[in-house]
This record gives sequence, C-alpha cells and structure tokens, in this order.
Amino acid sequence: MPRALRLALLVLLTAGCGTDPVTTQPQVFVTLVAGNNQTGPVGTALTPFKIRVRDEVGTAIVGRTVRWNPVLGGGTISPGEGVTDANGEATATLTLGAGAGPNSARATVTGGTPEIIFTATATAVVANPTPLLVAAVPVPPTYGHHDTFVRDGLAFVCAWNAGVYIYDVGNGIRGGSPNNPVLVSNLITNTNGVAGGAQVHNAWWFHNPVTSQKKYLFIGQEGPGTVGSASAGDIHIVDVSNLAAPVEVGFISVPGAGAHNFWMDEARQILYAAYYNGGVIAVDVSGTLTGNMSSRITAQVKPGGNSNTYIWGVTLAGGRLYVSDMVSGFWVLDPLTLATLGGGGNVPTQFVSDLTIGGTTAYTGGWGTRAGVRGNTIKVWNVATTTPALVNELVIENATTISDVALTPGNVALVATAEGGAGAGLYVYSLADPRAPLLKGSVAVTGGLHTGEIAVINGRTYVFTAKNPGAGNTPELRIYDITGALTP
Amino acid sequence: MSWRRPALMLLAALGGGAMALPAQSGVRLTPMANGVGVATSVDPIPGGGALTEVRVVQPVVMGLVSAAGGRLQGTLTLNFEGLTIPGGELTPAGWGEGFVDRRHPHTTVHELILGTPDLLGTADRGTRLGLLVGKGFVPFGTDDPMVRPFLRYPVNHHFAQVLERAVVIGQIERGPLTVEGALFNGDEPERPSSWPLLRLPDGQWRFGDSRALRVTVRPLTGLELQGSRASVLSPEHRPAAGGRAEKSSASLRWKDAPSWGERYLMAEWARTSELEGTFVFHSVLVEGSVRRQAWSVGYRFESTDRPEEERLVDPFRSLRPHLENSILGIGRWTLHTARVARELADPDQPFRVTPFVEATLGKVRKLDAGIFDPIGLYGRSTVRQLSVGVVVGWGMRHHRMGRYGVLATTHDQHHDH
Repeated sequence: MPRALRLALLVLLTAGCGTDPVTTQPQVFVTLVAGNNQTGPVGTALTPFKIRVRDEVGTAIVGRTVRWNPVLGGGTISPGEGVTDANGEATATLTLGAGAGPNSARATVTGGTPEIIFTATATAVVANPTPLLVAAVPVPPTYGHHDTFVRDGLAFVCAWNAGVYIYDVGNGIRGGSPNNPVLVSNLITNTNGVAGGAQVHNAWWFHNPVTSQKKYLFIGQEGPGTVGSASAGDIHIVDVSNLAAPVEVGFISVPGAGAHNFWMDEARQILYAAYYNGGVIAVDVSGTLTGNMSSRITAQVKPGGNSNTYIWGVTLAGGRLYVSDMVSGFWVLDPLTLATLGGGGNVPTQFVSDLTIGGTTAYTGGWGTRAGVRGNTIKVWNVATTTPALVNELVIENATTISDVALTPGNVALVATAEGGAGAGLYVYSLADPRAPLLKGSVAVTGGLHTGEIAVINGRTYVFTAKNPGAGNTPELRIYDITGALTP
Repeated sequence: MSWRRPALMLLAALGGGAMALPAQSGVRLTPMANGVGVATSVDPIPGGGALTEVRVVQPVVMGLVSAAGGRLQGTLTLNFEGLTIPGGELTPAGWGEGFVDRRHPHTTVHELILGTPDLLGTADRGTRLGLLVGKGFVPFGTDDPMVRPFLRYPVNHHFAQVLERAVVIGQIERGPLTVEGALFNGDEPERPSSWPLLRLPDGQWRFGDSRALRVTVRPLTGLELQGSRASVLSPEHRPAAGGRAEKSSASLRWKDAPSWGERYLMAEWARTSELEGTFVFHSVLVEGSVRRQAWSVGYRFESTDRPEEERLVDPFRSLRPHLENSILGIGRWTLHTARVARELADPDQPFRVTPFVEATLGKVRKLDAGIFDPIGLYGRSTVRQLSVGVVVGWGMRHHRMGRYGVLATTHDQHHDH
C-alpha cells in the first residue's frame, strides 16, 4: 500500500473513533492604558490605573471581571474587583504603602492575557511641621477677608463689602487647586438697610440630603455693633445652582440683632446661627427659600439672659448644640428645643470666641482683653457630660485674640489663628492626647489671621485662612498645607 | 529769580520775625517755630499703674509767605513728631489714628497750602473771595489745639478738627461774615509719612469724597462765632470701606489784649454721627486763660464721648486698619485741666520761652451696655495727669493754625502783629 494511502486511512479511522471536533475560545487581550510608573508620597492615593480588554479583532469586551491585587509595597487597591465598562476599560486606585520604596499591583482579567503589573514608587514624606503657604490670593481691601467655607473643592471667601468670592480649589469646574485657586464668581449681597454695606462675614453651602440639592448658600452679614449689647445684620440666602452666576433669593432677619457664625444639621434641614445679642436661632430651611424667611425661625434662645448674651459661634456635635457666648461663657444646648443643658458662667476672665468639638473634648478661643486678661488662651474642655469641665489651657504669647479654632478630620490636630500682636499667625497642635495638645508647627503672620477653615483636598490637608490687612498690605486668602504637621 | 533772593529771605528770616523784601518784590516771609520739652506723668494707664515720660512734643517749623501785595499766600508747616514721639504722647483719653490714651504724632508735612485771599481783587468793594489748595486743615470746627493755651490735646480733637487732608477751599467774606466751603479726601493719615490718598487703585477718587462748610461771624473785635458741618467718608479706613461721619461744630471765641496782658475764652460743642447714626458722639468744651504781665493761668473743662475700641498687645494701640464696624462701647470723659505758666521773654517779641505746669483731673463713665469697662481696663474710673515743661518758640504765639485765605488776614493773625 502506498504510504500516502495508509496515512489517509489512519486519519479516517482516527476521526471515526467518536472524538468531538476541537473548538477554541475567542482570544482576550489585556492592555495597560494609564497609570503606570507613578511616584508619590507614602500613604497617598495615586491617579487611577486603567486597563483595556478587547478581543482578537479589537472589539471592546464589556462586563468582563477584573481582579486587582496589591503585590509589593504594602499598599491597598480599590476596588478589589470590578468589571469592564462600555469601552472595555476598568480602573482602580492604589494607595501607596507606609514605607518608602517600590510598590506594585496586578490586574487579572478572567480568561484574558496577559496579567498587567502596575509599578509605582512611594517616596518618604519629609515631616515638616511648619504650615506651608501654597497660595496667597489678594482680597479687595474693603475691610478684608473674614471667614471661608470650603466644600467639594470650592472655597467661599467672605470679603466684607466686596461680597462673597467663589474659588475653584479642586472642584474641577475651573481647573483650580489649593495651589492655584481659580475664581468662579462673585456676588455682593444686599445691604438690607444695614448701615455699613453688605459686610459679608461667613457662609455655609447647604447640601440637602433630603432633596440632594446643593442649591443654597447662607451668608452672614455682620453689621455695626457694640460688643456685648448691640448688633445688626441679616442672613442672606443665595441660590448657587449656577455657581458661575449666584443670585440672592431671600433673607432671614432678627430685629435688633445681627448674624455671626453658622452650623447646620443638614439631615434635619435646620440652620443654627449665632446672633450676638439675639442669642442662638434655629431656622427651618427645608423646601424652597425665597423672600423674607424670618418666619422660618423655629427657636431662639439667649442662654446668658437678655443683658448678658453675645453669641459668637455654634457647633452641632454628638447630638448636642455647643455655643460660645463672648460674655457668658461656653454652653451646651438641646439642638431640638435650644433648651440649656449645661455650662455658662464658666469663662469669667475672658471673652470667648470660636469653638470646636472633637468627641468628648471641646476647645474654645478668646477675644480682646477682659479685665486686663487677654484672649490669647485656648481653653480645653471635657464635654463627656452636659456640664463642660475645664481641663487645660494653651497660651499663645503676644496675641490678644484666638479668632478661630478648628479640628482636622479624625481629630488628629487642632488648628488656631491668632491676632493682636507679634504672636499673630497660624498654630497647629497635635492631638495625640486630645486633652493635652502639643504644638507641632506655627507660622507668624504680620497683622494676624482672622479665621482658618480646614479642608482635605486630594489627600492633603489645608487651612484656608483670612490674612488681615496691615500697613501697606492688602488682605488675602492664604492657603497653608499642614499635611506635614499631621504626621505622628 | 536768582539764588540771592531766597538767600536774602532766609537771612532776613533768621534775623527776626516777619520781614519784607524790597518793595518791588512784594514778597513777605514769616518764619515761625515751636517745640515743647515736657515731663508727663499719668495715673492710671491701661492695665493699671502710673507712667512718666519725658518727650519733645509739637516740634514744628513754619513758613508763611505773602506775595503780590498779600494777594498770594503760602503756608508750610513741618512737624517732626514722627521723630520725637513715634509712639505718641501720653494723653489720658486721647485717641485717634490707631492710638489710645496717647496722642498720635502728626504728619511731617503738616500744612502745605497755596492760594489767595482776594481772588477777584474786590477787597475794596467790601467782599472778598478766597481760594486755596494744598494739604492742611479743612474749614471745620475750632483752632488746632497746638496753638491754644494748653499743652494737652483735648479728647475731642478728632471731632472738632479735620486736618492733614488734600483740600480745596473756597471762601467768601463780606463784613463780619465769612463762609467757607471745601472738598477734601476723607482718609486721615496712617503714619507721619502719610500723604492724603487722592485716588483708589480702582480709579475711584478719594479726593472730593468729603466736604465741609463753615460759617464764621465776627460781630465785635475779638469775638468770633463759628458753626460748621462736615461729611467725611471713612476717615479711619484709607481704602474707603468705612462709613460716613457726619460732623457738626459750633463755637464762641473771644480774645483781647488789654494793656496789662491778654484774655482768651472759647466754648465749643461738637457732634459726630457715624454709620448713619449707629454711633453718635458729643463733646462740650470750655477753656479760658488770662495773662497778666509774665504770668498766665488757664482752665479747661471738657466732656467728650470717646469710641472705645479693641486694643492690641500694646494697650495704647487699637487695630488699624479696621476689620469691622463694631466698637466696645462709648466712654464719656469729663476732664478738668488747669495750667500756670510764666513768660521768660517779652510776650510782645517773637521769641518765647514759657515754663509751665499743667494738671488734669477727670473721670470716665460708660454710656452704654457694651463691654467697655473702665475699672477693668484702668483699675479705677478716675484719671490724673501732671505735665511740667517749657515751650520754646519763635513767632507762633498769636498764630491760628489752619486759618487760611481771608481768615488769615484778620485781626489776630500773624500778618498783623
């Protein structure tokens, strides 16, 4: 038999032995799109890694499972598992490990090849406890810059008669960042007949969890007053649905008194406002707000009494409303009724300024000079009960006023601004022991800082401060990076 | 004009008093100078306790120029308090320009005014029009305290005078009546080197944002009645963010010189309303002096409301520029000041050496429910001041600083003594 015939018979016999024909899966190709070879400080989140999944003819494969795993460096990656989108792409973010050195993560696609390895390098953070000035934005010298409210990468700069300035400091709508704030818009609110002008002092951008709206910005107007007895100024309601073109739509007025600092219970849609000699008010801000909304005031209290109340600030924490009264001290109120729960009469030697609460510890500042005693002391309170107990005091030398106190997220650090002398500036305290803050870093600022608002943007912690005008100097929005002061 | 003429003027000036150049020039220069060496003790000061300081205050050099037969006038006053009292002069209840319980130093170029008391040459018809421009006093209120009999500046200095502004003054005088109107910049100086702010960075004019009107009547020789109004925009905040101060003043002044000496009496009322009436401050002041031969005695009563402001670590300083429109309250200062002095030189001659003793007793009380607390601040509500010093001067004895144009050519001005 010829050799060729024998081979043909062998093939036929083999085929006839009942074996199925060979079938193959379509091939899945995985490619790295973006994010490889990044470098960042230890513990920071990198720009997301991205892969793309396609078949052998280049068509995107949708819904294919991708698993992400850290490989080297001790970092974490999120999400651990995902699926490809309509473009056949999937992303995950690697947070670098705590140690300096190489980091890597692997993306594995079901049925796909090859596995993708992303590499990155974690650099050591140089612990710099000194607040680092990253931006200084001049503010018109119409008295200057008072408070700042920062949320969603937007800074609402309250600049007295120049109105409120909205800056993109990381939101993305104008490409701004803390190092490069970009102006979005400006609005000068109405005077409402208050002598002295718009006098824009403070703001709160209301994110309503009930309606999911971010429509209203509340602005405090600080009119002329006699500290301790008289004040003036309304709460102005601004529609910021279009951040580029804010519009004033309403106001809240308390006869014979003027607004100061705010706090909100957003879930309950209640605005709390310090109203100096008018005490504390609670305002129902649910629904549509337009025109004179003064009838929405649901409660008002003067904890020190009619002639002994001059409220600086309010803070809601742990189901209580804490109140700093310049003249009658530090109070604890019931946030529902504004009934007094405790406190008061506990700071007889100082005019009380701002307050901030972290867990069962509270911090209050001081203002001016009372009976020869300067307001350059931060008082530390145990607020485990409704009767605040003074447990410690921190003195900032060569200042008269601690105008603002605030806590970083997680109560890692206490930040204070000071005015009135050579000690004026920004101070950062470690709260490893919340009742015994330790000064980590500070920076002196000629003329002083009037306020300091903390915001975390892209993993770094900033203080948005209001630099006072000085001889020949314009007031400024000054932004300090204090991340280096927060390391243990 | 060659260099010889100013040199001649200078030499003549040094030679004594007003001088005249050759008749064809019609230029007349009157040099003047003044300074006070003084030890001042105050009890209490802010924070309690007493303090004594020795200072040279009110060091000024002046030149008054008259030309073209008196049709042109020039005034230059240099004040050197920026050198001698940069931290201010101990003055209980004094305030202004960021100083509290201290009187602030004035600007180095205190006056620089040019103009005419007779714009149209109508003097011979009984009516004169004056026009002046420069830096100096606004036609409002009473004479500057520096040229009054007392060392101590009254509490009402910032209510009763408006000075060191860029100003244009128009005047009309007919018989005993003089009416003056002025436009000027509202901002007061921030430091001795300050110049008036004419225009803001955004192009808005600061000059002309404030105005004043003063009516002066002199029905009898030596007697003068004055009433004035001024509207001053944001005097304490240079970039004009502050409110407008509406100011009023009325006064009676009498001065004569009998053969045995000199008599002087002045009574004034002043009112300043700020921020559309949010804060209103009143002042009443009466002062008089009598000189008999070389000895003189004087007494001043003053009751003035002062805005009490937040102080810095230095308790003699308040915050400037302002951050807001609030105050701590209003204190009413009631002060009695007495003075005895002796002229060591002939009072009729330009040169003057005058040792003096001046004492002030007074008290303060709060007028409202604000947090201003005099007891907490000073330790008590009464105040004492004692000053012992000597005035050394040349030619300023009868000068009324801040009166220009038609008012500078009247009876008791420098041109006529």
